[in-house]
Amino acid sequence: MSLRIKKANIGVLFFILIGIVPFAAAFIYALLYSFGVTGVANDGFTLKFWETVIASGSFFKSLGFSVLIALVAVVISVGGALWITLKFKEQLESRFFSFIIYLPLAIPGIVTGFFTFQLFSKGGFLARISHKLGFITEASQFPDLVNDGLAFGIILSFIALIMPFFILLFLNVYKNERVEELSILAQSLGASANQIAKKIFLPILIKKTWVLIVLYFIFLLGAYEVPLILGQESPQMLSVLIIQEIKQYDLDKISEGYVVAVLYTIIVSVTAIALFLPKRKTAYAN
Amino acid sequence: MRINWKPFVLSLAVLLILFPFVYLVFLSLASEWRFPDVWPSYLGLRNWQTVFDSETGLLQSFLSSLVISLSVAVFSTASGFLISKSVFYHPKRKTLTLLAYFPYILSPVVFAACLSFFFLKMGLFGNMTGVVVAQFIIAFPYALLFFSSFWNEKVKNYEDLVATLGGNKWQAYTKVLLPLAKGLILICFFQTFLISWFEYGLTSIIGIGKVQTLTIKVFLFIKEANYYYGALSCCLLIFPPVVLLYFNKRYVFKKLV
Repeated sequence: MSLRIKKANIGVLFFILIGIVPFAAAFIYALLYSFGVTGVANDGFTLKFWETVIASGSFFKSLGFSVLIALVAVVISVGGALWITLKFKEQLESRFFSFIIYLPLAIPGIVTGFFTFQLFSKGGFLARISHKLGFITEASQFPDLVNDGLAFGIILSFIALIMPFFILLFLNVYKNERVEELSILAQSLGASANQIAKKIFLPILIKKTWVLIVLYFIFLLGAYEVPLILGQESPQMLSVLIIQEIKQYDLDKISEGYVVAVLYTIIVSVTAIALFLPKRKTAYAN
Repeated sequence: MRINWKPFVLSLAVLLILFPFVYLVFLSLASEWRFPDVWPSYLGLRNWQTVFDSETGLLQSFLSSLVISLSVAVFSTASGFLISKSVFYHPKRKTLTLLAYFPYILSPVVFAACLSFFFLKMGLFGNMTGVVVAQFIIAFPYALLFFSSFWNEKVKNYEDLVATLGGNKWQAYTKVLLPLAKGLILICFFQTFLISWFEYGLTSIIGIGKVQTLTIKVFLFIKEANYYYGALSCCLLIFPPVVLLYFNKRYVFKKLV
């Protein structure tokens, strides 16, 4: 018995070593760097980097910008995927479509970013077509669709990256949760198509997948490649801002980068706790 | 009369899905394609021939990406499977699972930036081993969480049955657990392979440009404004997952719910 417990503990020990120690080490290192305790030019505990970051407001601007972009992309992707699932579920079951809808998953973020740039930049494919059709006479007349203030390119890339995933996810839930059967039952009880969509389809699909929806929001919040290619100078998305500051030659900036990294890690960790913390059941839980 | 609009939407969707693939292959075949030309002045296999030259190093990048991704997939799937058993049978499994989510949802590039000091100290900075270790650290929680659904009461009972019938641990694994988990192990292998194959940010930080995987190459070509070679690298990057999809789509997309 004791041998068995020991063996199980070896597994947990390895888990702590690979899964937890690197994360903890990275966080503590960033925390110490942000307070000036470690780092090349730092000489002891100071709050000045934190004060600078909070006073400059670049973090909050970047956070707000990232949240907004991620939120818009997730809402459009989830909404679009729900609509497509609702309207096209039979067609998507066919042999041809069941292969075709998997194809976008073979494209990584960096390629999506590159492709969006090729398509929407001022010298890109759409600008050439517009020129040919006589809408513009010079490249500069083409609207700013990449590296733009409204983050059009980033949002479009994010949607292209995650919407196919959500369509597949919703189709899967639709089948597994027997939404079809429930809809037929509701219909035979006199429910309209609208009522079926609002009272059966949406609640079941959202309830079953909301954790993944939130997870994807977090992934987009920390996305790096797409905003690196398609973003603008300022404000930047969080990961791009952090890496840019940490890679600076100005040594003060490195510490400020770590302040932002610490703040970002705290936000992500708190969200993880809120999402996955084992909840105590209340006496009258439904 | 009501017009059936569904075929139009579906055709448009197919076009939208296929367009990036066609366009990237097209761009990789082109050169000297200047604004405002809609058609490139050269279209041929010239760029693709350079894949086999040492000049661009694309073949080498392809091979290093392959070695890195295969190593990450093998290590993370094997360790994820074996360690997840201890974690999900542990009395504190919920807390342990929560802890596994932290590295899972953190941006890999930020994680790498905060870890780079330790990699530097351990001599794992700017080499392939370092990149494999760093990617393993982010692929491992994924593999671990992936196997969470496998370890249940039924599997435990099978294992107990093997013991009751006189089988040892090795037999329990080879005769029962591994055959039962075969499908999941294969999917996890391909998933972790893709996590590594598509990884850019973390590789760029830990590899500091010395370890040139395909994603690093794509970005280098974008920076040089060499879009034809960029598209060529993109094709090499997309090709293996598409082949994988063609043979079996369930490898690329696991059953999530």
